[in-house]
Amino acid sequence: MTITESGSLSVLLAAAKNAGRPYPQRPFGYFCSYWPEELTLSVGWEPVRLLPPAGGAVPAGLPAFSCHPARACLAAAEGGAYRHLDGTGFTHGCDTMQCLSGIWPGETPFLFVPPNSVLAVGAQAYCAAELARLWQRLAEAAGRTPDDEKLHAAIVLMNRIRSRAAQLDEMRARLPSPLVAAVLRAGQLMPRAAYEETLAGAWNELASLAADEPARTGVLLAGSVLESDDLYTMVEELGARVVADDTCTGYRHFAGLVDENEEPLSALAARVIGRVPCPCRHRDLAARPEHLVALAVRRGARAAVLVVRKYCDPHAWDAVAVAERLRSAGVSVLVLEMETAVPGGAERTKLQALLEMVDFA
Amino acid sequence: MERRYLPLQSTRHLGRTVQRYYFFTRYQRLWGRPLHRPLAWITSGAPVEILRALGIDCVYPENFGAICGARRVAPDLCRVAEAAGYSQDLCSYARAGIGAALRPDLAPMGGLPRPDLLVTCNNICGTVLKWYEVLARRWHVPLFMIDTPFVAGEPEEHAVSYVRAQLREMIAELERFTGRRLRAGQLRQRIMLSNEAVRLWGEIRGLCRARPSPLNIPDLFVHMAPIVVLRGTTAAVIHYRKLHREVRERVRTGQAAVPGEKYRLLWDNIAIWYQLYRFYQQFSERGAAFVTDTYTGGWSVAVDAGEPLESLARTYTAIFLNRGVDFRARQMIDLIRDFGVDGFVMHANRSCKPYSLVQEEIRRRVIAATGVPGLVVEADMTDARAYDQERVRSKVQTFMEALEARGGHQQGQVQ
Repeated sequence: MTITESGSLSVLLAAAKNAGRPYPQRPFGYFCSYWPEELTLSVGWEPVRLLPPAGGAVPAGLPAFSCHPARACLAAAEGGAYRHLDGTGFTHGCDTMQCLSGIWPGETPFLFVPPNSVLAVGAQAYCAAELARLWQRLAEAAGRTPDDEKLHAAIVLMNRIRSRAAQLDEMRARLPSPLVAAVLRAGQLMPRAAYEETLAGAWNELASLAADEPARTGVLLAGSVLESDDLYTMVEELGARVVADDTCTGYRHFAGLVDENEEPLSALAARVIGRVPCPCRHRDLAARPEHLVALAVRRGARAAVLVVRKYCDPHAWDAVAVAERLRSAGVSVLVLEMETAVPGGAERTKLQALLEMVDFA
Repeated sequence: MERRYLPLQSTRHLGRTVQRYYFFTRYQRLWGRPLHRPLAWITSGAPVEILRALGIDCVYPENFGAICGARRVAPDLCRVAEAAGYSQDLCSYARAGIGAALRPDLAPMGGLPRPDLLVTCNNICGTVLKWYEVLARRWHVPLFMIDTPFVAGEPEEHAVSYVRAQLREMIAELERFTGRRLRAGQLRQRIMLSNEAVRLWGEIRGLCRARPSPLNIPDLFVHMAPIVVLRGTTAAVIHYRKLHREVRERVRTGQAAVPGEKYRLLWDNIAIWYQLYRFYQQFSERGAAFVTDTYTGGWSVAVDAGEPLESLARTYTAIFLNRGVDFRARQMIDLIRDFGVDGFVMHANRSCKPYSLVQEEIRRRVIAATGVPGLVVEADMTDARAYDQERVRSKVQTFMEALEARGGHQQGQVQ
């Protein structure tokens, strides 16, 4: 793979590698793909996703039986790594994020509490009201007034990004796995307007890199946060390719558009309700397993790697039912528990065994 | 080792009450069906009053998990769940319960009887959503889910309205399911019974303000069973009236749960069920009584008077485990002040993340506000494999020596 050093693609890859540095003007840190980036943009802040930094710092505030992303981010916050942020936003998803929002050092963070049971009666109306509360609070803190036009403009921008991300996601089988992962991660770290423009500028280069590689085994990769490309790289090294991605930092972050013709907050709420299901939300019992089976079948994935970050309860719970359903659909499954996003020798052996099993089948 | 523990007469009555409950539960499939009484598995924070008013019998997998822990069969049951793919890091109540469903022959009472429906409410944790999804897949029965948004500060009106709408919807669905209409009088009666048990339970806990304390924390953990599994029934009210009389008499006569009480402590988190007496004996043998706690107080909040669904929505949304750190820290500081507490012990419970992951921050704030020392002990509520006895013993010993060095009854001043 040859990437022009001065080209747009190299800008995206550098942003992904450097966790968004140099930071944009008025950066606002957020956790979880459910955070309403549009609200942040509409009040003049640039959303920057907070991903666990490398390093083994141990925070005083969390016990050892909490997940690495939470511990690493808290350690970074305690060490002052997020002092440059104008604010921090949490989305209520799992118990760990709920707790992390409560013990976050410094200014009280913003908390968005979307419905957990997305098909419950009143869930969408509740979500719209919760977004309105959050928007008001964000605007007050940013010294702005909630502005429908600015919110609409932010929705249009995010929709353009999500549409591009969807196109990129469809090209996965023909592009190197770590490249797609990095480009999508950059979209969570860079100023959004700059990202949209840069991604458009990189499109021809991306298209030129696309090539059919039928010998590679198609893999579905699902899980929570993957803050580095190492696992994607390992998949490629072992002769396979991530043809479908359902990670929190992968395509699931971008999936689903906001209706630009609806009242903005209702439309944002509708996206929350209608999104590709995440293990932290209850839709119905079949929703997530069936979504992943359909995804694997559509993309021709013969193997699935379900990444469970150590102490990540929602993904650990879902892995059992999802693995069972995928296996029943003829997809070989590896449930891969990982402490950090960097796989080691043990993970390589397991992955290799999975792929060999698929090749022999 | 000297036994420094004064047993309660009411414990025999408790035993009979709980045995009767589980006896009827075990055979509910036989007597319930002819009477058209469905059996629900339900979480401890769900609005049970609605189900009882509709003639639905309820069983609590969490309480069953505690029984598995106390009877020390939880590790075997957890292993069964782990062999089925469930991570050892998941809640041990859930793992024990799944293990019991898969291997009832290993479970106390042969496991819980098959449910007709499942009711879960996420006001205590996110785990119960996932756990009950597993149960619904296992038993192929309807799953009713009440989504109570987390309350960081004070409950928001749109959150209460959302919960109220769900309760209304659940009632309509349960009416269809049971073929019965919910009568307003029945619901009020169940809420009244709940509130009466809650009032008595709150007063019993309050009587421990006396010096010496009439109860130690194992008493509260053992006697909380009816407020969980029989809330909204006369059986719970009868039991707590009896217990109330006995505890009041202890206070009147100055009887101490821990003879020679020298130190008054507060407990934070669920019990270590498989060590219920042995763990606390390490304290009682040094004259330390746990006079209050944050856990059993979770069931001492009454449903407000007023329109029942509105009141139920408010009460069940504002349960302490669904509240932010400020609320939880304030609650502990208030308890330390009210009960004249000299120190506190936090159980960093691997199975309960919403309880445990904020403890260090709460500990810091409580110490800053009260000057009272706090100890954190890592364990698990039912899975004994996570319990390092020597490490715990050493930490407890160090803590007690520090407490002794401060002198007895030097309660911290609330600032």
